[in-house]
Amino acid sequence: MNGFLGYVNGSSPLHNLHPLTKMIMSVALCAPCFLSGNHLLILGIIALNLCLFASAGGAGRAITTLLSFVKFSAVLFVLQVLFIRDGTPIFTLPPGIVVTREGVMFSLLFVLRFMASTMPLALMLSVTPVGDISNVLVRNLRIPYKYAFVITTAVRFIPLFSEEMLGIMEAQTARGVEFDTKNFIKKIRLLVPLCVPLLVSSVRKIENSAISAELRGFNLRTRLSGYKQYSFGANDVLVIAACAAIIAFSASGILP
Amino acid sequence: MLRFEEVCFGYGRENTISGASFEIGDGEFVALLGENGAGKSTLLRLCNGLLKPTSGRVTVRGHDTATIKTSAIASFTGFLFQNPDRQICQNTVYGEIMFGLEYVVPDELERRGRAEEMLGLFSLDGRRDPFGMSRGERQQTALAAILARRPKLLLLDEPTTGLDYRECMTIMGIVSNLNAEGTTVFMISHDMEVVADFARRALVLSGGRLIGDGRVRQIMKDAALLREASLLPAQIPALAMSLGNGFSDAFTVDEMVESVERALLRRACGARAQ
Repeated sequence: MNGFLGYVNGSSPLHNLHPLTKMIMSVALCAPCFLSGNHLLILGIIALNLCLFASAGGAGRAITTLLSFVKFSAVLFVLQVLFIRDGTPIFTLPPGIVVTREGVMFSLLFVLRFMASTMPLALMLSVTPVGDISNVLVRNLRIPYKYAFVITTAVRFIPLFSEEMLGIMEAQTARGVEFDTKNFIKKIRLLVPLCVPLLVSSVRKIENSAISAELRGFNLRTRLSGYKQYSFGANDVLVIAACAAIIAFSASGILP
Repeated sequence: MLRFEEVCFGYGRENTISGASFEIGDGEFVALLGENGAGKSTLLRLCNGLLKPTSGRVTVRGHDTATIKTSAIASFTGFLFQNPDRQICQNTVYGEIMFGLEYVVPDELERRGRAEEMLGLFSLDGRRDPFGMSRGERQQTALAAILARRPKLLLLDEPTTGLDYRECMTIMGIVSNLNAEGTTVFMISHDMEVVADFARRALVLSGGRLIGDGRVRQIMKDAALLREASLLPAQIPALAMSLGNGFSDAFTVDEMVESVERALLRRACGARAQ
């Protein structure tokens, strides 16, 4: 599975952790972004995410993911800075828009939080097969199978849709639609008619999956029938302890 | 029309296409053969710049695909994908044909004329919703939208997959007529009968390497080459090879009938002489 939310095969220590530990780690790496307003701490969390990605053999993917987040964040940052008028003025832009110190700091915090809180999810999904997430949701978190299936199916479909969209864009480029233009606005305008084939193919895929599941007795399932066992090891204990320490540190208020 | 010079391409570290070199002249009808995963679709995407070579050079009508936009190459090439649903984005067949034309034909009247011409050629109802049509009809709609732009080079990625015999013959008949009028056709196909009936030259790809390039008649009778590429020849060449001496030149049904008739005549003459 491709895309930044797909699983990357591997046998790193992160891959071998209990799926529940990986989910806890994902939440624990997100939490400090909202418990603390310290820019350096959040930058540290982003760096930690990158290191974890690298340890799981996904350094290239992490950098690609981060770069795409940075591009999106840059737009968010500019919008935030332009709209926050309160605080100490730094400079004024030609039409009379005042850029303030507080506006810049808040916008920076906002985009750092966005990047730092999204990366752990991408990390977790890159080292955990979707099936394992589903099993853990049902077995350990006691979520009814139908709901777990909905969650994991949604995750599974994201890269498929992304691939489908790339395929559609490729087909349209091949007939002369200028998706290879550098003009961002033009590109967005050209994307609008493509929502039709994407919607049609997505609905077809979902309908086929639903029929396929029904035909295999999806609704007849009355008890757990999974055989895969996951065991907690020393590494899991260490990771959970580290996660607890990170949360405690960020919530302690040691950092301003 | 199309030239590959030592072209290599890979999605990751490994090459999917390794050192491919060949040339396709104006008006040729060339089939690209190979097992699944051999790199056929990748090679076809390199032809119009959807993929850029990691090394080597691809030129279409003298334009290097690495330096020209794919949308610019699209003004003289047409690419039919395996899945027509990726191309269709309008609510009517007429709208779909017109959509592709908007990028290459500025004159509204000219566009309408071309769209009407395609509707007639494919016997399609322009008011129909393409998403409610059969797979074969959607494939025809996609091809009509491409042909309306009058490409000089037609790239077809398994155009007959999932079609019944009648739909297959409709599509291949139209493509064949266009080729006779001078359009260059480069087609991927797993259907060796279609290849035998319509293509005149074939390229054989295996593991990203070009292992064969020759007339379809020669390729279909090269058992070792076909085995290496995990391919089976069309039925008549296969039968001709099995029968051996006196039949080995037969390639079409008519030629086989002629060979059988000749053999029967020889046998009858031999019996009369005895």
